[in-house]
Amino acid sequence: MFFALSNLRGLASRLFSRPALLPTTTTTITTRPFTTTLPSMASKPAAKPPSKKAAAGAAKSKASRRVAERDPKIVNMLQHFAALSPRRIPAPLRMGRNRHLRHWTIHRAWLLFRRRARKERERTLMRQQQSMSAACEELRLTEGPGTRDMGYLYRVAMEKKGVYGLHGVPIEYARAQTDTPARVPWNHEWKA
Amino acid sequence: MAGLRGVSRPARSLPLSQLSRPACLAYPAYLTCSRRSVSTQAAESPAVLRDLETDSTLGAPQLSPDEKRQFKPWKRAADRKGFGLPGSRYQFHPPKYNRGPLHPIQSPPSSDPTARDFVPGPFNMPRLRQTYQATIASDIMTLAYNHIPPGTPSREQPERLRDWDGSSEYHKNRPKRGPRGSPVLPLVEQNITFRNIPEITEVTIASYAPQAAKDPEHLLVARTILLAITGTTPEITRTKSSVVQWGIIEGQRAGVKTTIHGNAAYEFLDRCIHIVFPRIKDWKGIRATTGDSSGNLAFGFTPEEVALFPEIEVNYDMYPSKMIPGCRVFVKTTATSDRQARLLLQTMGVPFYGEIRN
Repeated sequence: MFFALSNLRGLASRLFSRPALLPTTTTTITTRPFTTTLPSMASKPAAKPPSKKAAAGAAKSKASRRVAERDPKIVNMLQHFAALSPRRIPAPLRMGRNRHLRHWTIHRAWLLFRRRARKERERTLMRQQQSMSAACEELRLTEGPGTRDMGYLYRVAMEKKGVYGLHGVPIEYARAQTDTPARVPWNHEWKA
Repeated sequence: MAGLRGVSRPARSLPLSQLSRPACLAYPAYLTCSRRSVSTQAAESPAVLRDLETDSTLGAPQLSPDEKRQFKPWKRAADRKGFGLPGSRYQFHPPKYNRGPLHPIQSPPSSDPTARDFVPGPFNMPRLRQTYQATIASDIMTLAYNHIPPGTPSREQPERLRDWDGSSEYHKNRPKRGPRGSPVLPLVEQNITFRNIPEITEVTIASYAPQAAKDPEHLLVARTILLAITGTTPEITRTKSSVVQWGIIEGQRAGVKTTIHGNAAYEFLDRCIHIVFPRIKDWKGIRATTGDSSGNLAFGFTPEEVALFPEIEVNYDMYPSKMIPGCRVFVKTTATSDRQARLLLQTMGVPFYGEIRN
């Protein structure tokens, strides 16, 4: 007995369900009332190519004709917005109790992780600011190099010359971090 | 702890029981007691272990076979009515409509996967945000650090809202008047500290299409373009006032706008800075006079520059090329002045040019 498991999966449902995909003969036979002639023997009516004018006049309304005259690009956009309409929004997710609890646990863990990371970042920044403050306080109470008076170095350090100017930050500083940084740090030859 | 075993659980956590213990117990043994003996070690436990239950389930008395037969938790659960857990089949349906904050039917929070506005994710960290957190934030803080020696008296802020002179009885409790000349009260610049580093909060993108009055398809194209650029469905704006010379009438549908927050805003700025700006011909940068003096900067794109966005460029043929609109971008930051906001954008790689006002 060699049965692949995939063959047995859904066996019962396959047995009891109506074979929807199997080709049925009944669909191919066109029903013809009040006759005993077999459908294959019956004479077929001559297939006329439908005249374009009649079809357009009968089947298409004014509105649909207007749509047909539209730019196909516009029609495409309209269809996209129709798909985005609030009526097409899919039903909410459904979850069993355990699955929901599992999701809840993971969500809480994610929030916890995020909070810890944020706290860590804040703590680092606080430490940096405090050490800057301590250094500046030290400079303020130090008598400068040579014959300089007390706090000379502090005053020099606190000069904010050009920080808020147009070239306060060199453009080469702005390199977003990547997993695969370029071999050449900055291409100065770049022309748009 | 061993002596407390007979006491009930709440009584065990009473401060009284902690007080009655020797003072040495409040801290780890190696901190307080210089000499440790085997007998005291056995009696006392470190603070971290104090919450542990010392009782063991193994010590519980064995159940008799008769008691075991009568122990039917499943029957108790089946008999419980009204206040049991919901069945394992899904039953809860979140409400379709928001009926206001006072209605008894309320949607679950958006973090709940069953909520209708639940969005899974985030699935990535925008690299601009990563860069900001890793380097830019601390660099801005260092660059703009302003030392205030300890003991410096804080400077009094002048009153910015005008007081009423008490000439009338009715001036009592009347709210103060706004500043002279302008109804807008700009923010007061705050020092940059570790708690107050400028950061990008949201980006609003607006596009004005006055041709939409005659041909509403302009509006459709503008919506599609903003949808492609931002990934959110934009809303339609109306003209505020009629101007005869421009041929606009108040209340016409003549523009679209959308706002993106957080990660999406960072991603959008990343695309602007690293893809669109470098490809604009003869681009000098953003004019330095921009800003509302409260830390929100703005810039614009012409239709040709909008077409440079990768989302537009990848299927440029999908849009009627003559209808592509320009757009304005408003970058909102937590900076309290324009110069701080400019500093933030400069560190992210946006060049500025021209005159500096504030």
